Amino acid sequence: MKTAAVDRNVRSRRSLSRNDRFTLSTFVGIPTLLQVVFLWGPTLITVALSFTYWNGINVSDIKWAGLANYKNIFFGSPVFYDALKNNVVWLLWFTFIATPLGILLAYQFDRKIKGHQIYETIFYIPVVLSLAIIGIIWNFMLQPGGFLQGVMGRDIGNAISIWGNYDINSYVIMALASWRHIGYIMLLYLAGLKAFDSSLREASAIDGATEWQTFRKIIFPTMRPVNVIILVITIIDSLRAFDLVYIIYGTSTAWPLLNILAFQNFAGQGISMKGAAYSVIALVLCVVPILVYLRNVFKEDLN
Amino acid sequence: MSDVNNGISRRSVLKGAAIGGAGLVAGGSLLAGCGKKQVTGDVHFTIRGNLSDAGAKIAIAANDAYTAKTGNKVISQAVNSDDFQNNFVQILQGTPDDAFGWMAGWRTNARADAGLLADVSDQVKALGSSLSAAAIQGATNPSDGKQYIIPTTYYPWGLHYRKSTMQELGLNPESIATWDDLIKLCEATQKKGLVGYALGDKGGWEAMGTFDILNMRLNGYQFHIDLLNGKEKWTDAKVVEVFNHMGQLAPYMNKNVLDISWDGMRDLLLQKKCGAMMMGSWFANDFKAKSQEDYDDLWIVPFPEINPEHGIDSIDAPLDGISVAANGKNVEGGADLAGFLGSKEGIDAAVAAGDTSIYISSDFDTSTYDAFNKQKLEVLGAAKNIGFFLDRDTRGDFAGPVVGPAIQSFLKNPKDLTKILDSTQAQWDALPAL
Amino acid sequence: MSATIVQNKEYKNKQKVKDNFISAIIGFFAFVWIFPILWTLWTSLRPYNDIISYGVFSWPRHLNLDNYFQAFRVMGLTKYFVNTLYVMVPSVILILFLGSLIAFVVSRYSFRFNLTLLLFFTAGNMLPTIATYIPVFWLYIKIGDLFGNRSLLYNNYFGIILIHVAFQVGFATFVLSSYMKTVPKEISESAILDGCSVFRHYWNVMLPLLRPPLAALGVLMSCWIYNDFFWALILMSEDSKRPVTSALRQLQGQYVTDFNLLAAGASIVAAPTIILFLVLRKQFVSGLTLGATKG
Repeated sequence: MKTAAVDRNVRSRRSLSRNDRFTLSTFVGIPTLLQVVFLWGPTLITVALSFTYWNGINVSDIKWAGLANYKNIFFGSPVFYDALKNNVVWLLWFTFIATPLGILLAYQFDRKIKGHQIYETIFYIPVVLSLAIIGIIWNFMLQPGGFLQGVMGRDIGNAISIWGNYDINSYVIMALASWRHIGYIMLLYLAGLKAFDSSLREASAIDGATEWQTFRKIIFPTMRPVNVIILVITIIDSLRAFDLVYIIYGTSTAWPLLNILAFQNFAGQGISMKGAAYSVIALVLCVVPILVYLRNVFKEDLN
Repeated sequence: MSDVNNGISRRSVLKGAAIGGAGLVAGGSLLAGCGKKQVTGDVHFTIRGNLSDAGAKIAIAANDAYTAKTGNKVISQAVNSDDFQNNFVQILQGTPDDAFGWMAGWRTNARADAGLLADVSDQVKALGSSLSAAAIQGATNPSDGKQYIIPTTYYPWGLHYRKSTMQELGLNPESIATWDDLIKLCEATQKKGLVGYALGDKGGWEAMGTFDILNMRLNGYQFHIDLLNGKEKWTDAKVVEVFNHMGQLAPYMNKNVLDISWDGMRDLLLQKKCGAMMMGSWFANDFKAKSQEDYDDLWIVPFPEINPEHGIDSIDAPLDGISVAANGKNVEGGADLAGFLGSKEGIDAAVAAGDTSIYISSDFDTSTYDAFNKQKLEVLGAAKNIGFFLDRDTRGDFAGPVVGPAIQSFLKNPKDLTKILDSTQAQWDALPAL
Repeated sequence: MSATIVQNKEYKNKQKVKDNFISAIIGFFAFVWIFPILWTLWTSLRPYNDIISYGVFSWPRHLNLDNYFQAFRVMGLTKYFVNTLYVMVPSVILILFLGSLIAFVVSRYSFRFNLTLLLFFTAGNMLPTIATYIPVFWLYIKIGDLFGNRSLLYNNYFGIILIHVAFQVGFATFVLSSYMKTVPKEISESAILDGCSVFRHYWNVMLPLLRPPLAALGVLMSCWIYNDFFWALILMSEDSKRPVTSALRQLQGQYVTDFNLLAAGASIVAAPTIILFLVLRKQFVSGLTLGATKG
């Protein structure tokens, strides 16, 4: 008996066999190698390149530039501040309008109001659509000859300007982005709510609290871990915004975003490492949200 | 800040082809015969645009003619033009098609310097006297004197309009001789409920046509080229004057300038919703594809004189052609195809398929030109100095990322002009040496 | 006592009225939400001639599936769908497989680098991809040159698969490792005691237990990779090799005036993910739950 117990302890603390070590190394090694080579490597290369002058073709042409690209961006490129403004608009809209709407919807659906199953499906469908398709769908709605213009009785010649009208185009773009974002947040929050203890809600209901009070005072605070995650996802998605605006405007920076500027300068017809610098700026802005996310999600492991 | 010297060498590009181009030149082109090694193998070709475009069908017809002549198969694919241009450097470094339609100027020369394009000087030589000295100059890379593009078509940038619309309005655009005349024309058009001066700048480059011509008219060709090469400053009062004139046109533009691209402009003209449209004539193929009537209704006049010192002596007339990728699988085949497309047989095949472009080769019989093309030649012939268009006459990392947004900003907020020009100059100064 | 019960009932009735009101408002918005999709579907069902003759808003005289057949025939959709499968299936399998490997090691064996690894994998998933586009391209060309074949990775399905795997394996790792934390340690301990090699521990013991999150992740990954259009646009120069969502860009330009055809094409391309969502909804939700809120 004693031998077996000792054996068990010895075995569980035994060093791994060579085969096992090899297997473990491969298990860890291959995915890590992939990540390092194709994800972190390129990211670091971009950071390094942001300090150089280069036209993207022959490696021998790389010249050191120090902070010149960054100086150019901050002090010489007014379009950068337009892009920042748009990113901030995106962030504010998502944080104060789109995400709260998603949360509200999730809460109502969790209460199982009538028709909630159909509603959940409907609100989530834009999320499973590719942005290439979303571009086509909304073109049908908004372009000259499309639904909106037709309803207002305007044909191609006198169509209302949408993408070029700077009074409304930001709102239109945000509405399109929200079309997708709200459903996404809704489903995330709904999933989080399902783990929530429903008896607490019942109890507060009997106490005479309105639904709104229940939500505000009990549910929302208890959902704090989920709230943090949702907030971080909102911020990161605002900073990563690119695809939708690329589909609408191409690379013409008519409605600039950080990532559009990065792409236009990094790729495009006149490659310059300013694009790398723009990417690094976007990266740096993402660092804090990512760190908050990691800290929140790996709280137990870190402590 | 390197110099871009292409402009001066193009001063007389058109003299040979336009004015003296009527009639066939005997013994024009020597093709791949006479002791030249026969090239075999499949050739891959990229068509910029969509397969449904008029231009694509013409390109395919010309490629088929090559196949018929040499037996080499040509595999064409259509790529979205913006995507191709934006990813050009990547595509050429990767696995490019052998040949493709491209644009002469900085876009060819800079990429050639980087080793991405194949030298086609031999093919140009083989085309012999069908290409005027000026045409060859336009296709030559000033840094090494070789050619990396076979020049094929060119076209003027001018005021286009529909004859029927002008007739209905009782106006005669051919009588525009001065700036005031143009403004009056726009006013009159506007009064009848049409757009006076159509412009769509969503793509960022369309308005450069207007900028170029205003600059050339007001300040002369030399100033324009010098400005694009960094020898003059954007903050100069002369440039301010250019933008002021653009601002004078603004009330007559369509209200959704920043909403539509060049195809929106074209549609405005196609649907008779505007008067004058400043554009390059390459879109005429679309009119012809719509109907012969529409095509016959199309007309062009040069932008009027503004400053008597310069008259109408300059014009934007971009030169297009066929280039060959240095990293293609079949470089020889690509060069062979490019040479063919620039030769009489290639041109004939394209024209037979409905191409209405003007070919710079003197092998093309301009006596068979229709009225519109003859008018195009007239417009071209009136000019002494040729520009290739802003985004081909200056550095790629300046034209698109800096000048494009600058003009868009101006159209958005004309009051910000000083700020815009200051920052444009600052960004030029900050450009790294090439 | 009875007063409280009456109050409850009154309260409940009032609440019910409020709820119906809320449901109606949300219902209205749901209709607005889905209207663009409905409009596209509607446009796709109308024959071209109808719209030409009578205009977009006219009452339908014919409704049929002609556009769909034509879309398949003319747009070459079959070829693009096959391309999508070439990219999607290997990517998803590799992502799930590699992700499970790391998650397995990190949650079953205590190494000092465990947490660091997890952090890096999770963070990697959140980086903006624009920053990596050009370097990835160069890498592909250089690696291709190393092996003497430029299109080893560039303009090759293999390259697209690789980049998808690299970018998504972090998420899979994160989800699977959170899930594994809920699997009792005793199972693993008895496996080790039984003398299982690491590989058998993974393959025969853990993997079968991972079916639920693997299914959920598989569904999510398929959806995301199917929807991505950007990488293939950048890394593939041949349009005929592109997956269907990237090909849509080209098709959109080609058929820009053929609303009905384009609508039908878009509907066809949108259908798989919508159907996937409707049928496998539970997996979708559980995948997102695991991924966002940590089990």
